[in-house]
Amino acid sequence: MRKLTFPIGGVHPEDMKYSRGHAIEVLPLPPVVYVSVAQHLGAPAVPCVAVGDKVKTGQVVAEPGGFISAYVHSPVSGTVKTIGPRADIAGRPVTHIEIVVEGDEWMEGIDLSEDLVTEIPTDREAVLEKIKACGVVGLGGATFPTHVKLNPPKDAKAECLIVDGAECEPYLTSDHRIMVEKPDQIVVGAAIMQMVLGGCRVVIAVEENKPDAIAALDAAIGRLGYKNIEVATLKMKYPQGSEKQLINAVLGRQVKSGALPISVGAVVQNTGTVLAVYDAVQKNRPLITNVLTVTGDCISGDRMHNYLFRIGMPLSYIADYAGGVPADAAKIVSGGTMMGKPIANLDAAAIKGTPAILYLSEEVTRRKPEGSCIRCGRCSDACPMGLEPFLLNRLYKADDLAALKENAVQDCIECGCCLYSCPSFIPLLDNIRMAKAKVKKL
Amino acid sequence: MTETILWTVAILAGLGLLLSVVLFLIAKKFRVEEDPRIDKVEAVMPGANCGGCGYAGCRAFAASAVAAPNLDNHFCPVGGNAVMKQVADILGYEVQEKAPMVAIVRCNGSCANRPKTSEYDGVKSCIAKASLYAGDTGCSFGCLGCGDCVAACQFGAIAMDPETGLPVVDEEKCTACGACAKACPKQIIELRKKGPRGMRVYVSCVNKDKGAVARKACAAACIGCGKCVKVCASDAITLENNLSYIDFAKCRLCKKCVAECPTGAIIAVNFPVIKPKPTPVEVKKEEEYA
Repeated sequence: MRKLTFPIGGVHPEDMKYSRGHAIEVLPLPPVVYVSVAQHLGAPAVPCVAVGDKVKTGQVVAEPGGFISAYVHSPVSGTVKTIGPRADIAGRPVTHIEIVVEGDEWMEGIDLSEDLVTEIPTDREAVLEKIKACGVVGLGGATFPTHVKLNPPKDAKAECLIVDGAECEPYLTSDHRIMVEKPDQIVVGAAIMQMVLGGCRVVIAVEENKPDAIAALDAAIGRLGYKNIEVATLKMKYPQGSEKQLINAVLGRQVKSGALPISVGAVVQNTGTVLAVYDAVQKNRPLITNVLTVTGDCISGDRMHNYLFRIGMPLSYIADYAGGVPADAAKIVSGGTMMGKPIANLDAAAIKGTPAILYLSEEVTRRKPEGSCIRCGRCSDACPMGLEPFLLNRLYKADDLAALKENAVQDCIECGCCLYSCPSFIPLLDNIRMAKAKVKKL
Repeated sequence: MTETILWTVAILAGLGLLLSVVLFLIAKKFRVEEDPRIDKVEAVMPGANCGGCGYAGCRAFAASAVAAPNLDNHFCPVGGNAVMKQVADILGYEVQEKAPMVAIVRCNGSCANRPKTSEYDGVKSCIAKASLYAGDTGCSFGCLGCGDCVAACQFGAIAMDPETGLPVVDEEKCTACGACAKACPKQIIELRKKGPRGMRVYVSCVNKDKGAVARKACAAACIGCGKCVKVCASDAITLENNLSYIDFAKCRLCKKCVAECPTGAIIAVNFPVIKPKPTPVEVKKEEEYA
């Protein structure tokens, strides 16, 4: 079978997926949860409960604050104690709804059974409305509201839905576990999205380091017998899970600078999102759970876990349940080593898109002193967008915003391949990120 | 040989002469008439080209001032009233005196007051740090300490104090151009009136967290207790979002709030030090008792 990948750039970090063999465990409920109203891209949701209100699991606690926004549901049943600012993982104050847990009584009408519902609904609008009402957002990293993404402009025709199961980030295994443990649900979810997009082709793209996931999905497609759904095996390369790179790998089409994937007829959805869509449409279950990986280079294999968590659980609670923060962890990251965000505040609550708690030791995380550019060109070779990071870095230092714009600094996807490949440890990505912010202000 | 050299010199000299005449004629024909007052105004400007006035540089300011009907919207913060007086004399306008301003740093979160909660080892720039997270202390509002304001100052008026980790403004050098205030991603630098003999009272904190949270993050934080608002006789202090602010226009520099503030977030600068009067203490010698 031909293995696909994107043609330019990319790097090959060691995949470090030590936790791939650990089945998903369900975390018990903590005494208190803190539900953030900003769990998605776009406008923060607006709380619609008051202090002292009793809420049930799955009840709406915050409503969308704009067109690009999403519903937020209570992950537990209990009493709303406070509504106010609380620090998120970056330490910035965000409105959180504090709920004291008093059990786990779900709202009526939510199907909690594990029975597979294979019948695909046919009413497109009703399905989109359900996805919106269940607060489904993209779980691949950007947390873009799914109902907006599945509703492309009328003149654009979706030709292919790509389900992103690449999981190219080192260490992360949550998508892998979902694909191994819930392949049927993912295939049904993909078939629902296929219906919404008007019966296009569906490709579930998985990297070759997950053969068990590929086999499970293949078997599920054979069992369920939906038409026009297939699994594609990708070569291992970072950043394959990035939208534009994945489209290029699967369809061989390039998305133009500044254009959306729908311009080449593609829609990309993460496996986690597809599962959330299945839960929302077939089971009426809002997005209040997700899978995260607890892993790192300073804990041993038996302390690594894949957890099914509820949103609003403090990360410190999850870390404590997993055996506490290891003493030699110098940095804790939410996500993988390449694009993960550092956790400045471990007391922050988990949100819909929290991918992992990653412990990194001093040795791997400490930055090495910056040297001079030796013009080796490795950053240009590594850039999957075909940019020249060394040049952008120099232009940023010279504060030449016009030239930065001309050299397409806005096309940078911040994957970090340049930084990863630089032998002089120049903080290319940091500077390009600042350059992007400056150019955006123009 | 000699002939060649002579010819060369002659041709080049002839060419030079001819082209200079052409250039002269072109310069005469396409001469741009410019108001001579622009040059005059520019000559009295400080020439720092800092952009503090809102124009691209001193010449742009001069051109705009000459074209304007009055000087109400033009003020050079660097030159101050003296320069504006000269500009007004040249243009024959009236100009109102403005109180001199100075940049103040509204954060007192020194290393001692504000313990670090994490270590930052990224690029040493406040903008980069602010784009990543709230900061390496518990306070998400205060100074990040990477010195973007120092880099922005063209007058060498701000320096980082290595002991406190906070920027310090040199009042003598500060021209109140506002470059530091623009460079600060946390907006902790404010342009404030210098005050009589430099005396001023201000709240040196921008933390909008609730009292307990703010106090936990920083020993010198404004906790929004409102004591200063109550004690102020001139209604100069307002409390909003757990943060008090002193309106300079109303403040009468009585310093009552400074004494009242439980965390020392309100700062009074340049006040003369009042020496406590030596109270006469009678020392009785033991012999007298004897």
